[in-house]
Amino acid sequence: MVELVFSPEWFYGKDIFIDIFSIVIPVLIGLFCISYYRLSKNKDYIYLTSSFMLIAAAFLFKILTNITIYYDVFFTRTIGLVTYTFKTVKSSDALIIIGILLFRLLMILGFYVLYVTADKQNKDNTIKSWINQIFIIYLLAITVLLSQYNYLVFHITSLLLSMMITYKFYLVYRKNKSNTTGLIAISFGVIALSQLIFSFVKVNIGSYVIGEIVQLIGYVTLLVSFILVRKHGKKKKQDRYHK
Amino acid sequence: MVRKRSRTDIINDMLIAIVDKGGEIKPTHLMYKANLSHGLMQSYLEELVDKEMVKKIDRKTYTYLIITDKGCQFVEKFKEMKEFEKTFGL
Repeated sequence: MVELVFSPEWFYGKDIFIDIFSIVIPVLIGLFCISYYRLSKNKDYIYLTSSFMLIAAAFLFKILTNITIYYDVFFTRTIGLVTYTFKTVKSSDALIIIGILLFRLLMILGFYVLYVTADKQNKDNTIKSWINQIFIIYLLAITVLLSQYNYLVFHITSLLLSMMITYKFYLVYRKNKSNTTGLIAISFGVIALSQLIFSFVKVNIGSYVIGEIVQLIGYVTLLVSFILVRKHGKKKKQDRYHK
Repeated sequence: MVRKRSRTDIINDMLIAIVDKGGEIKPTHLMYKANLSHGLMQSYLEELVDKEMVKKIDRKTYTYLIITDKGCQFVEKFKEMKEFEKTFGL
């Protein structure tokens, strides 16, 4: 049986709004990456778009699953113990399990593609490199399947991946000394922290609420750094005109 | 080692050269400013005119190249993209 993580009752629905916001930000960045790809034909933009779209799709499945779970909870409560209700809950179990596994798989794949894109040393197009990538993706898929039995497997994998992304951006920051890169590193650090907080959800259900809020802060920081990138690019252009 | 310029880099260099000259430039000056051979510049220029990023106008006996709004938008987008690449370490 998949370990389902429920939010506290008073938080039902509110997490959906937070997750909607977490969809909008990666989609926005992904769309800009597509427009940059059209301009430069640099394949890195395709990888970045894929990673952000995978993360957005993951949140979409999380929302759909949560809606199904909350609907079941409310439906069962209003109708009571009628046989029909029981059947409805049972029939949606499969949907919930598929939804949760898809959320976990897409999220981990999104983080991994982002890590590979941020890692300059991994950028070779040899067959050996592709075989390595496929093997790692296979292991990540196995990890997601194992997370059916213990949700910690998913959160620890996400934590490790987001920490690795944070480190990669920290290295980029040390090289270019750009505050915006520093902010991106911080945003992924905060996202990593949210995964750590989610790990304690079985110990304290309030961790889910804190985790969601911290995750939101992480994505908002990512959005702010993206806005700063665009603003800074435009400012440079104005400087040129004012020369 | 200096990296070879991509097509987009060359187009951007040409448009920047026009912007630096106040929005209009003579073709010969553009050739020198963008570090291009005559043949290469002609082929890129044709593309820029086709894509309506640059307009050709004749004034007295000279031909001038003028950057259009679309050309300015390209320069802006390119700057933004370079900033993005620098920030994300691409």
